[in-house]
Amino acid sequence: MTPLDKTSKIDKRKRRSQFIAFTLFKLMSYSVVAMLILILGFITTKGIGVINWEFLTTAPQEGMTKGGIYPAIIGTLVLVLGSSLFSFPIGIMSGIYMNEYATNSKLAAFIRVMTNNLSGVPSVVFGLFGMALFVNTMGFGDSILAGSLTLGLLSLPLVIRTTEESLKAIDFSFREGSLALGATKLQTIRKVILPMAFPNIITGLILSIGRVSGETAPILFTVAAYFLPKLPHSIFDQVMALPYHLYVISTSGTDIEASRGIAYGTALVLIAIVLIVNLLANFLRTFFSKRVKMN
Amino acid sequence: MLTVEAKNVDFYYSDFHALKNISLEVEKNKVVAFIGPSGCGKSTFLRILNRMNDLIDGTRMTGSVLIEGEDIYAPNVRVDELRKKVGMVFQKPNPFPKTIFENIAYGLRVNGIKDNSFIEQRVEESLKSAALWDEVKDKLKKSAFALSGGQQQRLCIARALAISPKVVLMDEPASALDPISTAKIEELIYELKKDYTIIIVTHNMQQASRVSDKTAYFYLGELIEYDDTTKIFTNPQKESTQNYITGRFG
Amino acid sequence: MKRFLEKLAEGALLLSGSITSITILLIVLFLFKEASGLFRSPVIEEGYVIALNKANTVKSLSSYEIKEIFDGEISNWAELGGKDEAIEVVRLSDLTNYYTEEELGAEFENIPAKASELTASHPGIVLFLPKQYLAKKFDGITLDKETIHPGDFFGGKEWYPTASPSAQFGLLPLLLGTLWVSLGAILLSLPFGIAVAVYLAEIATMRVRNILKPIIELLAGIPSVVYGFFGLVVLVPFLQKIFQLPVGETALAGSVVLAIMALPTIITVAEDAMRTTPRAMKEASLALGATHWQTIYKVIIPYSKSGITSAAVLGIGRAIGETMAVLMVTGNAAVIPHTLLEPVRTIPATIAAELGEAASGSAHYQALFALGCILFLITMVLSISVEFISKKQK
Repeated sequence: MTPLDKTSKIDKRKRRSQFIAFTLFKLMSYSVVAMLILILGFITTKGIGVINWEFLTTAPQEGMTKGGIYPAIIGTLVLVLGSSLFSFPIGIMSGIYMNEYATNSKLAAFIRVMTNNLSGVPSVVFGLFGMALFVNTMGFGDSILAGSLTLGLLSLPLVIRTTEESLKAIDFSFREGSLALGATKLQTIRKVILPMAFPNIITGLILSIGRVSGETAPILFTVAAYFLPKLPHSIFDQVMALPYHLYVISTSGTDIEASRGIAYGTALVLIAIVLIVNLLANFLRTFFSKRVKMN
Repeated sequence: MLTVEAKNVDFYYSDFHALKNISLEVEKNKVVAFIGPSGCGKSTFLRILNRMNDLIDGTRMTGSVLIEGEDIYAPNVRVDELRKKVGMVFQKPNPFPKTIFENIAYGLRVNGIKDNSFIEQRVEESLKSAALWDEVKDKLKKSAFALSGGQQQRLCIARALAISPKVVLMDEPASALDPISTAKIEELIYELKKDYTIIIVTHNMQQASRVSDKTAYFYLGELIEYDDTTKIFTNPQKESTQNYITGRFG
Repeated sequence: MKRFLEKLAEGALLLSGSITSITILLIVLFLFKEASGLFRSPVIEEGYVIALNKANTVKSLSSYEIKEIFDGEISNWAELGGKDEAIEVVRLSDLTNYYTEEELGAEFENIPAKASELTASHPGIVLFLPKQYLAKKFDGITLDKETIHPGDFFGGKEWYPTASPSAQFGLLPLLLGTLWVSLGAILLSLPFGIAVAVYLAEIATMRVRNILKPIIELLAGIPSVVYGFFGLVVLVPFLQKIFQLPVGETALAGSVVLAIMALPTIITVAEDAMRTTPRAMKEASLALGATHWQTIYKVIIPYSKSGITSAAVLGIGRAIGETMAVLMVTGNAAVIPHTLLEPVRTIPATIAAELGEAASGSAHYQALFALGCILFLITMVLSISVEFISKKQK
């Protein structure tokens, strides 16, 4: 009789420890889901009553305790647009460079490290930097221009990585096929590779919009206005923005208690933006992957 | 005495009917070779014998498989107990990123054995059975990755033997190895047959004819022919078998 | 022509490719330029001067020492390495204790002369005076060239930028506050993150996974200000109630909110790492009679440990740099924390809360940039260590 012949008791024990561990992991995973439902559910139930057409289309009134959040919505849209105009073209071009041109060089490795580092830089540091460079040194002042550029820099690593990964997913044989027909490298990228990578890139870009629309710290000192009921006329104007507005009315508004309702409404609008952006991205992902399957 | 007894086994990967009504018996202390072209189902059938296919999502099996008279697909069967009885060696050597000693000891430890002197004794016995002891006895504490490919595969065989299985399944164990290592593995299989029942999947017909007592030929998910190895290679009953072993396709 | 355009486009791509590197360089340049100004700023409030008796052997005072003197915590020059002489603090308004209003003059025109005289006659004096009242031939030592010492910043135990006569820019309470809150966050979120990662990578069925993954993505997408708001209206009152606290805005509230926010990062990175475990390794373990759980903790987790470490480091990085949520729930008291149930103030929250009030170019403004540098350096070190860990894995 060797110890190997009497392992059946141990078998029972090891199966019990598996059962305990797996049950625990399952419970912990579901508690993460429960947490999300709690957050979303709480803000939705408190905020849904506040949201109506008037709330979305009028300016704050009476020290931001009444009225709507129209200027903040417009401000956030303007900032998203402004930052995208900056970060999308440069980010995509940068991603193309990284994946198609600089695959193995020391320079590429350096750039990759720098991109990773930039994505780790806290958003408040972007705020400081944007203030020092765009607001003060370049003299843009607190403006849409300064805020958009700051937000654009912040979202660059995300855009670059998305582009790079979308390009990486395309098999090398497609490049060889095009090059073998006498196309230049640039033509190959423009006519073959980019169109194929387009669906994934778009999905990534949409997710980056979600991120930008919720950022507060980078716009605190570069563009965001505490209270500004009128809409901007030029890129050198300040604007209100949804996340900053939520911060203001929930911590330092004129009357925090009276503004609570509006705060819930604003939080719900912010969550709705994230939800829509995520759903859209998921929808596009499945839509495009189905189309690829059909081909 | 029958060690393995499969009856009317059908197997599906979602919609794909991978094995069609396979029935096959293996006697104790024999070596059986599974041959056939790629995708014929021989590896799938091998993995049915230790329920390794359970790991793949969307698979389904009907029929029954008895090992030493016990139905291994019965609802009360514990797969970890089954796999202790039915060891497996894979196509590519897959040692753990641990020391040579710990690789062999792994199977004993996960089965709850804590007696260190027993573990040491088993490690030595298994390495000797796998004809690896003399090469590694001075470097048991070194990483298993420091060994050559052939040595790694014999380490994996020793690892499978350490928990004293009744059956050893080998899925093309020499396909990733050089000819000398392959010869060593074949020699080893011949030795091991004294103590174990061995089922080996192979692409290499010479190998099948050299090491096995019986050979099963699979084609398109069906068991075409199963007989003594000498008979299969000298006087096959089916034309398909004849074509395959004479190299007309495959 | 075609070749030329091709070259041009390649140039443009290279330029775009280097944008992140340029940005990092510019961040370093601007942050450190502004921050270094802090150590050229006077210790004493702008436009003021501190004067001592000529015979005083103490020739310079640090920001912290000035504060201690004016708070009455230091009352003898011997404590500062000088002679055994009581310290006599005199502010402009205190001059009337020594001189009549007539002596000082109807238009205070005699103040410079009298201040000089007072300083000369009192060996233990510390006179705090607006520069305009400083006599041309002042009979004493003036400390107006004194600048903020790096020790005042890096070793300073108090952050009190509006203190008079000497603002306190001590890094320690903020740094400890940041580390305290982040440590709490990571201790809460790491076990959860790894458990969920294991569940997703190994245990959950495809269908469950397809439901859980988008939920975790959503959790990552919620803006930090919404987490802060949720923390403020739900978590803070809750903590106040169950721990019977005077205020619910505490380090713990910050840690909990940050833990939730760091979860998606930890889960995603750890899960990806576990998925890289070769299938062969997993099958080998199962084929030896190991249970799935034994395979997970004996093979998969050891194999992916550098990925799990990266996940933890990235989670810490996310927690340390997080601004708005922390600003809203931690109470922002700039004191060195002792328990998780006290209000604390973190570096990012300080920058966000105070930069709006700090005049551009002032010492306060520069001190906030110095905080930004510290934050930048911490996250840089974390990013590089992740780089290093994942390189080692390969």
